[in-house]
Amino acid sequence: MRLRELPFALLSALIFLAFAQTISAQALDISSGGQPTITGAIGGSVTGSADVRNDLVVTINFGEVSPLNTNSIVKVVVPVALRSNQPYQVAVSMSGLNNANAQAVQASDVGFGLQNIRVLGGAGKICTQSAHTIRSPFDNDPSLSATVGASGRVSYTSSLGSLSGSTVILSGPQLSKNNSAIRQQSDGYVFDAIFTLTPQFFAAGVSSATLIFTISAGPNVPC
Amino acid sequence: MPRSITLILLTALLAFGAVDCFAQSTTGTVSMSATVSKFVEINSGGSVTLTGNSGGGVTTDGVTNSPLAVSINLGELGPSNTNSFVSASVPLKLRSNAAYVLSMTATVTSSGTTASKIGAADVGFGLGTASRTGLGVNAGADTNATSGDPTLPANGSVNGTTGRYEFTAVRSNLSAFSSATTALSGPIIMNAVPRSNANGLTVPAMFAVKPQFFENGTTTISVTFTVTAP
Repeated sequence: MRLRELPFALLSALIFLAFAQTISAQALDISSGGQPTITGAIGGSVTGSADVRNDLVVTINFGEVSPLNTNSIVKVVVPVALRSNQPYQVAVSMSGLNNANAQAVQASDVGFGLQNIRVLGGAGKICTQSAHTIRSPFDNDPSLSATVGASGRVSYTSSLGSLSGSTVILSGPQLSKNNSAIRQQSDGYVFDAIFTLTPQFFAAGVSSATLIFTISAGPNVPC
Repeated sequence: MPRSITLILLTALLAFGAVDCFAQSTTGTVSMSATVSKFVEINSGGSVTLTGNSGGGVTTDGVTNSPLAVSINLGELGPSNTNSFVSASVPLKLRSNAAYVLSMTATVTSSGTTASKIGAADVGFGLGTASRTGLGVNAGADTNATSGDPTLPANGSVNGTTGRYEFTAVRSNLSAFSSATTALSGPIIMNAVPRSNANGLTVPAMFAVKPQFFENGTTTISVTFTVTAP
């Protein structure tokens, strides 16, 4: 490269970077919020990224949930990071868990709640005029709200059975101070999505479900 | 292509590549699965009832919902015991999340040396009525492969030729259980309830010996119950 072409190349790079930032910048973002954890499982596991800059892709294997598992409950905590430069809402939709046998694992057998929403680093926006609101009935730790129902089966304050289509579970004001199109390690909020399953005399079989968490523009609340 | 254009395109490619690192997304995915294996268990259904005995007693009693490990001394089984039968009823409790089969294996060992010693055929056996009651217990019909209470007149009588009392009904004595043999079977016992739910299917296992002029000596009877989910 000739020396006289260098300023031209640098200018071009700056223009394209700016252009690229503009066309790909997203005001709303959801990602991993840290390493997920699992307790009380026999033969179970949870996989996901500990890096908050990576996508939210988590695989939970609750393991054995028949009475062979003598633990009182299997609990999984999945941290989820959110970023936005505007008011937001988070919705969840579910597919699967449609066992025809009522004694098999059903959506209502998987406790689901949100807890511990917290700032992710120094660039998380702290708003004073609006709160981050966990929508009813999801504001609970299902491992603490589990009770034995009238039928003798364990029930929760909220569960995957509480989801109907795309269900808003969380909303609030702007999450991030900056407007970077690239994920940072400290520019938003994190909440814990908690899933529980109590070992019971379920009908034998393997059950599975997929949840899609979606962040979108939410109610226009002030910061 | 002019070199300056090529330079611009390469720069743009690099710029876009850089932007793609840690690009944002508006969706995330959580996939989950769980496994429920077939589960069956047998425990004690409560205290043993021993009747008609002369001497003897329950050495190790059953404790509800504890592992079944009962020991009974039937006492005197010779003619000095004038009761019509020495009977022991051992409550069993079964639980499962699948169809089950309860099988039994029995061995009878006597110190005698003649045909008049106590043998497996001299020990009557039968299962009573299976009861499915309590919260979380699934309704269902169980199949009793035995003839029930071995002391029932229909289940035994004195042999007209030998004079020996015999348990004659189907699977009414321990000789029918020299190898693992089904005694009871049925559909799923428990609905989806936690293991801490103490209910289940209860059924009495009934043993009986008719005191007779058996050859004197001691006899040991060992019975093992096994529940499976085929």
